[in-house]
Amino acid sequence: MKWKDMLSMALGNLFKRKVRTLLTVMGVVIGTCAIVVMMSFGIGIKQSMETMMQNMGDLTVITINNESQTPDSAALDDKTLEQVKTIKDVVAVTPVFYLDPSAVTIKSRKYSYQGMIYGVSMSALKEFGYQAETGTLPAEGAPETTILFGKDAEYDFIDSQKSSNNMIFPQADKNGKMPDPYVSALTDKFQAEINLPQDSTAKTKPIKLQCVGTLVEDWGKNPSPSHSVFMDVAFAKQLRDKYNKLNNIKKDPNKKDGYDSASVKVASVEAVPDAEKAIQDMGFSTYSMESVRKPLEEQMRTIQMILGGLGAISLLVAALGITNTMIMSIYERTREIGIMKVLGCVVRNIRTMFLVEAGAIGFMGGAIGIAQSYAISFLINTLYAAQNAGGGDAMGAAAGGGAAAQISIIPVWLALGALVFSTMVGLVSGFHPANRAVKISALTAIKQE
Amino acid sequence: MSLICLKDVRKVYHVDKEKIVALGRINITIEPREICCVLGTSGSGKSTLLNMMAGLEKATKGSILIDGKDVTNFSEKQWALFRQKNIGFVFQSYNLMPTMTAVENVAMPLMFKGMSKNERVKRAVHMLKIVNLGDRLLHKPTQMSGGQQQRVGIARAFIARPKIVFADEPTGNLDSRTSREVMEIMVAMAKKYHETLIIVTHDREIAKYADRVITIHDGSVQSDVRNLSVNSGVNEEELSS
Repeated sequence: MKWKDMLSMALGNLFKRKVRTLLTVMGVVIGTCAIVVMMSFGIGIKQSMETMMQNMGDLTVITINNESQTPDSAALDDKTLEQVKTIKDVVAVTPVFYLDPSAVTIKSRKYSYQGMIYGVSMSALKEFGYQAETGTLPAEGAPETTILFGKDAEYDFIDSQKSSNNMIFPQADKNGKMPDPYVSALTDKFQAEINLPQDSTAKTKPIKLQCVGTLVEDWGKNPSPSHSVFMDVAFAKQLRDKYNKLNNIKKDPNKKDGYDSASVKVASVEAVPDAEKAIQDMGFSTYSMESVRKPLEEQMRTIQMILGGLGAISLLVAALGITNTMIMSIYERTREIGIMKVLGCVVRNIRTMFLVEAGAIGFMGGAIGIAQSYAISFLINTLYAAQNAGGGDAMGAAAGGGAAAQISIIPVWLALGALVFSTMVGLVSGFHPANRAVKISALTAIKQE
Repeated sequence: MSLICLKDVRKVYHVDKEKIVALGRINITIEPREICCVLGTSGSGKSTLLNMMAGLEKATKGSILIDGKDVTNFSEKQWALFRQKNIGFVFQSYNLMPTMTAVENVAMPLMFKGMSKNERVKRAVHMLKIVNLGDRLLHKPTQMSGGQQQRVGIARAFIARPKIVFADEPTGNLDSRTSREVMEIMVAMAKKYHETLIIVTHDREIAKYADRVITIHDGSVQSDVRNLSVNSGVNEEELSS
């Protein structure tokens, strides 16, 4: 028997019992809808949680903390960082070297900067997701005197010839226009000067700097590119050494020569736990968003399971409906099945026809259910957005962007998965009735009056 | 070579520990193109005999050969495929699919064989025209009289050109005039296509159409007579026109 014929016979049978088919399909529609909508909530909530966490910090960055080091603890120096770089899935590593603001002053004309200066691996910035707001990130092989400004570093320059009212604040005026800072990162010339004690007579030669741009503000990053200047870590260490020499500052013999902290970029969120473990095994304390993400994710999974389970119950009821419908239909068609057998229909074809019927109920229910789920999801999101716009819901705001936040998301995989699942439910429900149909004795069936 | 050969066939039913012998030691051979009538009263075992020859029941003992093949221990699937190719059926209660049209009913055996829709519909229409139902092609069984339904049944039985057509009380539900019509068509068709027709009946009138009459009584062959003065009714030339 041809597939086409089996299909048309099976569908023809469904079509002949319109009302019953419709009712059974509706059961599947409701079941599919329940599962899909419930799961879409889970996904929506999970996604807004993730955006929220991304605003809190990069999920794939591990921070090594070494501030509370003791003489026994491992030194966080360049050699160690090279080792960290070899850990699986580690993409980039940068030390975070904090140059004491009292050591160096950055000058441009009569304006000076005595804010935070970080020594970092300038070539790794790109990997860490730092972005240039103006200018560019340093090119490969840029001179070590290359610097980058944080978002608001330009505003931290003060007019050193005035004793008061010598700053421009990065606040917009009434018209929403930002005031121009004293200096411009890209057009002005900058130089670094080592600070000397008040009574010193020594002379230092200013070192010319090349500022290549300003960075986009991002409080989730360590170090954060806001009121700060970034320079190469080796250069920053040179400046510190010069300062220490000129100011007669001796090295603390108890303190190891290492960085206070470092940032490690890992290839993916999934790789974070292993990499973090490896670093901890080296004797460092670490921090990553993983410690926040993991319990949150577990919680989300539980919520999703509960929601999905609620939906699954209704689909289970629908599955019973399919089985019932198919068994009824077999009772009605006992004679027909008998005739088919006597006329030479192979048992396998009869089973296939019944399975196709049951599967078709599942498939149709699934397809309609998905369409309806999209409609419900759209409705819920619209209502939610409308409510948010009025009340300013805390979660919507936290989800970042606010307007784009959706509490119900149906990704393509969920829709396709639901379709496959509902069809499977149909087939499984039809399995028992189909086998029953197959076992009908042709003889008794045709004798039935 | 004989077409059907039953050797020492025995059928025993077990009902509540009680043994009921439906058929005991039957030996029959049926030649190709024979029109054979199995005559017997109700409960004589004639239907059981037919069911065993068609693979609907298994013999308790003995062996059955059809067309040289030993079908005694055929599986259900083997029987289904065998019936597709070799066996046609005409039933007392017609057994048409109530939801299908006459054409669909007639074409059904060809569908099981896997023939394309166009081809099988063409053949079904042709068959229906032969049984004078050219104007009832798209009628459902409920829209037809008993005689018409049985003619659809005959068209269905012959459409796949089987070697053997079994008819189980084909006129049992019909009045005598319609019975004659139906028998004439059936016999003519069997002759036209050179097929073997085995009719099971309790009606002595029907036996007149057969070349050979086997009488079954209490599960055994009582008589086996070749009927030389056959009244085949309509002749072939008339039918094929």
